Amino acid sequence: MDTISRRDLLAGAAGLALTSAIGGTASGQAARTPKRGGTLVGSWGGFEPQALFVPPGGGSSPNMTSTKVLERLIRLDEDLQFRPVLALSVTPAADFRSYTIKLRPNVKWHDGADFTADDVVFNAMDYWKPISSGGALNALVSAEAVDKETVVLKFNATVPDFFLKSILAGRTVTIPKHIYAGKEMMTNPANNLPIGTGPFKVREWVRGSHVEYVRNENYWDPQLPYVDKLVIRWWRDPASRSAAFEAGQLDFAVFNPIPAPDVKRLVDTRRFTAVTEGYKNTAWALTTYFNTQREIFKRADVRRALLHAVDREFISDTIYFGRAKPATGHIPSSNSLFYFKDLPTYSFDPDKAGKLLDAAGYPIRNGSRFTMNIVSAGWFEENVKAGQYLRQAFEDIGIKVDLAIPDRATSLKRIYTDYEFDMAISNNSGPLELAPQWTQSYTTSGIVKGAAFRNASRYSNPALDKLVDQYLVETDPKKRQALAREFQLILATEAPVTSLVEIVSATVARSDVRVAANYADVLGESWAHIWLDR
Amino acid sequence: MLTFWTFARKFARNRAALLGLLVIVAVVVVAAMAPVWFPRNPLRIVGRPEIWPFVNPRFPLGTDSLGRDIAAMIAHGARTTLMIGIFASLTASLIGITVGSTAAYFGGWVDEVFMRIAELFQTIPNIIFVLTIVSILGQTITNITIAVGIVTWTPIARLTRAEFLSLRDREFVQACRAIGMRDLSIMVRQILPNALPPVIILSSLVVASAILFESAVSFLGLGDPNVASWGGLIGDGRTLIRSSWYICAVPGIAIMATVLALNLVGDGLNDALNPKLNEG
Amino acid sequence: MLRILFRRLVQIIPLILGVIIMNFGLIQLAPGSFLDVMTAEQQISDPAMIERMRILYGMDQPAAVQLLKYIWSVVTLDFGYSYRQNAPVLTVIMQHLPATALLMLAAIAVALLVGVVAGVVAAVKVNTIWDNLISLIAVFFFAAPTFWLGIMLTILFSVKLGWLPVGGMRTVGTEFGAIAATFDIARHLLLPAVSLGLFYAATYARVMRASMLEVYKSDFVRTARSKGLPGFQVVVIHVLRNALLPVVTLLGLQLGTVLGGSVVIETVFSWPGIGSLMLDSVMSRNYPVVLGVLVMSSVVVAVANAAVDIAYFKLDPRISAR
Repeated sequence: MDTISRRDLLAGAAGLALTSAIGGTASGQAARTPKRGGTLVGSWGGFEPQALFVPPGGGSSPNMTSTKVLERLIRLDEDLQFRPVLALSVTPAADFRSYTIKLRPNVKWHDGADFTADDVVFNAMDYWKPISSGGALNALVSAEAVDKETVVLKFNATVPDFFLKSILAGRTVTIPKHIYAGKEMMTNPANNLPIGTGPFKVREWVRGSHVEYVRNENYWDPQLPYVDKLVIRWWRDPASRSAAFEAGQLDFAVFNPIPAPDVKRLVDTRRFTAVTEGYKNTAWALTTYFNTQREIFKRADVRRALLHAVDREFISDTIYFGRAKPATGHIPSSNSLFYFKDLPTYSFDPDKAGKLLDAAGYPIRNGSRFTMNIVSAGWFEENVKAGQYLRQAFEDIGIKVDLAIPDRATSLKRIYTDYEFDMAISNNSGPLELAPQWTQSYTTSGIVKGAAFRNASRYSNPALDKLVDQYLVETDPKKRQALAREFQLILATEAPVTSLVEIVSATVARSDVRVAANYADVLGESWAHIWLDR
Repeated sequence: MLTFWTFARKFARNRAALLGLLVIVAVVVVAAMAPVWFPRNPLRIVGRPEIWPFVNPRFPLGTDSLGRDIAAMIAHGARTTLMIGIFASLTASLIGITVGSTAAYFGGWVDEVFMRIAELFQTIPNIIFVLTIVSILGQTITNITIAVGIVTWTPIARLTRAEFLSLRDREFVQACRAIGMRDLSIMVRQILPNALPPVIILSSLVVASAILFESAVSFLGLGDPNVASWGGLIGDGRTLIRSSWYICAVPGIAIMATVLALNLVGDGLNDALNPKLNEG
Repeated sequence: MLRILFRRLVQIIPLILGVIIMNFGLIQLAPGSFLDVMTAEQQISDPAMIERMRILYGMDQPAAVQLLKYIWSVVTLDFGYSYRQNAPVLTVIMQHLPATALLMLAAIAVALLVGVVAGVVAAVKVNTIWDNLISLIAVFFFAAPTFWLGIMLTILFSVKLGWLPVGGMRTVGTEFGAIAATFDIARHLLLPAVSLGLFYAATYARVMRASMLEVYKSDFVRTARSKGLPGFQVVVIHVLRNALLPVVTLLGLQLGTVLGGSVVIETVFSWPGIGSLMLDSVMSRNYPVVLGVLVMSSVVVAVANAAVDIAYFKLDPRISAR
């Protein structure tokens, strides 16, 4: 069976303020036997999803609601080990051009139908490749069911082992063929009441309020899930969530659910805990793009100069209340595979910024060097503040700034479709694996008008593109790391896209909530391992 | 006609209205002096975040979550608030008076059509309409002003229409018609001055509701990010209501005081101009 | 009376057409269409996929065609499909409507109860300390932004005192009997209904006071008094009944505002109603839902106004005498 390391995720941090938990490693291995029963009320730091399951992904909210019902083939844990879920093994051939997947036998869908290799073939060809993987499976040529429990995936290029497993543990949930085949996927009624193989079944979704799940009595692991009932409930603002915690109406909430100052207050009561583990595979950053098609900002020396004017400590400490740390590269430091700390960084030094701009041919004339417009995507409150701070920081070195903080729709349009900005503030996020989510924000192939979270700088560098292409087909893990370091070096030097700070996500829970697993993406896992120590 | 002094005396008899006037004068002074007292951009980060009011003399009203001076934001916010209130009210009055007077003066199908349009605007939930307009046209003060003007003109139109209807057939209007005056000049020169006093009172109340609309829009995060605004400050402070509730409370009190004062003044004007009460 | 009802219903049709055309036009002006939000939110980056969605949403057709199609769909009582929620618009609205209706009714009840009582007291005790006090409190609530009042009430009653829940409509995850469940909802309803209702109560109190005073002076009250009817009876039977007229008118006119006001209050209290749906839809340019809500609310307001006309007949002896 599964080699679950039973780590008492939350007990370890009990009584600690969040600040001391940041950067801390896993601790507290109180391996008690989980209890069964009870109702868990969960939430997250955002809103209700548009549908419980959104086939192309749909962001964090539907990801959270769908993954309690729909399972993936494998799961990634914080120790960087892949654990079996619906697949018992995923094995590459010697040439890395085909992979054999052994499926778990005797698994049933919630409606009683058998889960078989046919389902996986359907998912691979009709769902994962064209819709949910975001182009990551373009090299997939065919999927064949060898027998009821074996599927072979064939590719037209070499596919690195970690890359494929990362995809299979990521956005590729498994949906039932008998419900989705031959119908329009986006409008299938099952998207609102998903039918899966997971530990929980949807019982009721009260729009605007909550969704209620009950235990799947026929789950393939008879031990799981530990709780009888799971409720995911949404509040529109963080202050209400912390009040709900105190009122006993909320047990477990992920992705920075409550205002930062409240975290310490709640944890100090010893009735609540806060931990920052569980986000390795979904790291977020505050990202700036320079528009490299604009006269002034196509010059790397100007871009570098501006970065020296930004105090990242201030952004981390004041804007994020310490729930972020200055980034030293495009990839967050939590990425233990592809983060390199020896890349060029830009210290906060306004004088230096001014001198560099003087040298670049932009001295202060008539009170200013030039005028730039900043577009800050207003979907996070911190982006609003970051926009206001950056305006001030650039004004301090003699640049006139026009700031716009449009709402969600307009931000997306201005940044990713019209490219109507000199500098844009947005948020990149991604898993441990760099391709395609992280790399597409600076490769030439990532320039897709209208596609969000892509290369909005329209930066194009053939040398960098070549390195990324090599990285995509390189199967030796060490060589992949070397390639990743090389193209990140170019990126950090050229600075078209920069992570200013890496956001530190936290989970807040009542102190009697235990997690008997160490999910690398706590928001997007099934929560079958959560139990209540009451 | 009332002379100014008798009017002023009647107005001054109402203590509450006088108090309201005082508050409004104070707000106007603060707004006017804001650039002198707080010459720097009020949205600048100037100190440690979350300093409580009356703790640090440099920041009498404290600082917000970013370390911006709340006093400076309140002062500059007063400018924003007054500007949006007054210009939205002017916009609403312009539309309302035009529509109301035209409808009443010409009557018939013109009246029918204009009143249907007014009904149309009254039917749409106004705050939602404002949000839609602002999110579509863009988050600037001008657009918020226009949007608020667009949703608040209907009562003015109805009142103007009612006043015009009662004046339309009076002798002096008949006389003007008889001597061949043009419709437009009868409307503007003869009827309007007589219809105006109650409309002006209503306009002062529209200033108050415009201020409330603006604060709601900013509170919901659709305000202009480049200017300080009272509603925006409440919205910003909301995540900190546990630890630093003063960030919400201070601008809320400012809004309330201003709107209250406008209402008191409106009442005072109403009493002073209303002949029925003057008898008593 | 039937004729008036019929005339009213006929008037609703161009009204709704106007609402549709105006808002459709507005939404077309917007930078950043529905599709941009959808693709970003669902993290769709494949251009072929975006094109497929454009066709799926009917956005490949000219705006005029889309408008005509929409008008037709309203005519057939089908408000279109919301791809964002993956459900028919009517279903989505109907899922949120009960919560908002409950909040609105509760708020109106609070407003009427508090407003009418305060207005009557102020009028009966005119020019006393009671009158002044009520007037003062009324302007206070009229001046306070509802959302701010809501936040302040939450701080006091939920955060500091812990008497009432912070938000939402019911305690989830626990099973209740019918009575307990009703009580639970009432507890959640109290703060939002009061925050929203007090604003209108302030207006009603003022209007009620003024119209009471007006009616007091009128001839038939003098007659009633001279007939020697006791003061209380005069107030209740004659004055109150007639003085209620302007309040009823106001109520009809303000229904749209109450609906709008609930948008703001719903965001403060996480109330699962039309308000949050509307805000979310405006933000995401989900125009089928925006239009749907606007059309529905137009219908509600228009019907309410017709109802007000009828209430007039019942309340005012002078009109029914005609």
